Amino acid sequence: MESDVRIKLAVYGYFAETGRAPDPEEIARRTELSVDQVTEGYRSLRSQRLLFLEPDGASIRMAPPFSGVPTQHRVEAGWVSYFANCAWDALGIPAALHEPGRVRSRCEQSGEPLDLEVGLQGPDSSTWLFHCLVPAAKWWDDLIFT
Amino acid sequence: MLFFRSEESARQWCDDRKAPLRPLVTMDQLWKLSTTWYESRLEADSRRPKADEMREVFARIGLDDEFWDPRSDRFG
Repeated sequence: MESDVRIKLAVYGYFAETGRAPDPEEIARRTELSVDQVTEGYRSLRSQRLLFLEPDGASIRMAPPFSGVPTQHRVEAGWVSYFANCAWDALGIPAALHEPGRVRSRCEQSGEPLDLEVGLQGPDSSTWLFHCLVPAAKWWDDLIFT
Repeated sequence: MLFFRSEESARQWCDDRKAPLRPLVTMDQLWKLSTTWYESRLEADSRRPKADEMREVFARIGLDDEFWDPRSDRFG
């Protein structure tokens, strides 16, 4: 198995198990690679738009749909609590895990809480809406703003 | 990428920021996007959809405005 794939699986597996971002040492241990090989793999995965890194190149800010930092979009699935990067990713976490989940977020205008059950076939009936200000062609220009 | 309780809430949020209201997406549409993007993300051969695939996915669920075209240069 190519090292990038091993690293990707280890990173995503860690997020799925814990809801948190792994450090490179943990991924090195899980993949039996060196820390330098892991951070090199991170750069490759960044170029594939599978990871978004902090400026240090070693801390994972996003492994979409998972967020490595707290956000307003929380997802509970199984016994784990996750942060999603955005509204889209909030539904993406149950989709990635293939598990039912509960999305807690808010209306950005009114602050009204969103509490949405998401089953294996999708969310409960809801009249809430999703809005993206940034056009698709620009999403990765400034991913944090997007 | 945010949630809004209603179209009026989204419109007000945009007006307050002098930003354009973009096409609004229902929860059912968002679920289809989420599963397309992420249902295989924890698997070895998963990858992000390519530009043509993205456009096709958006169009399939009725999001065919140029806003959803990852190759569009209309937005500067």
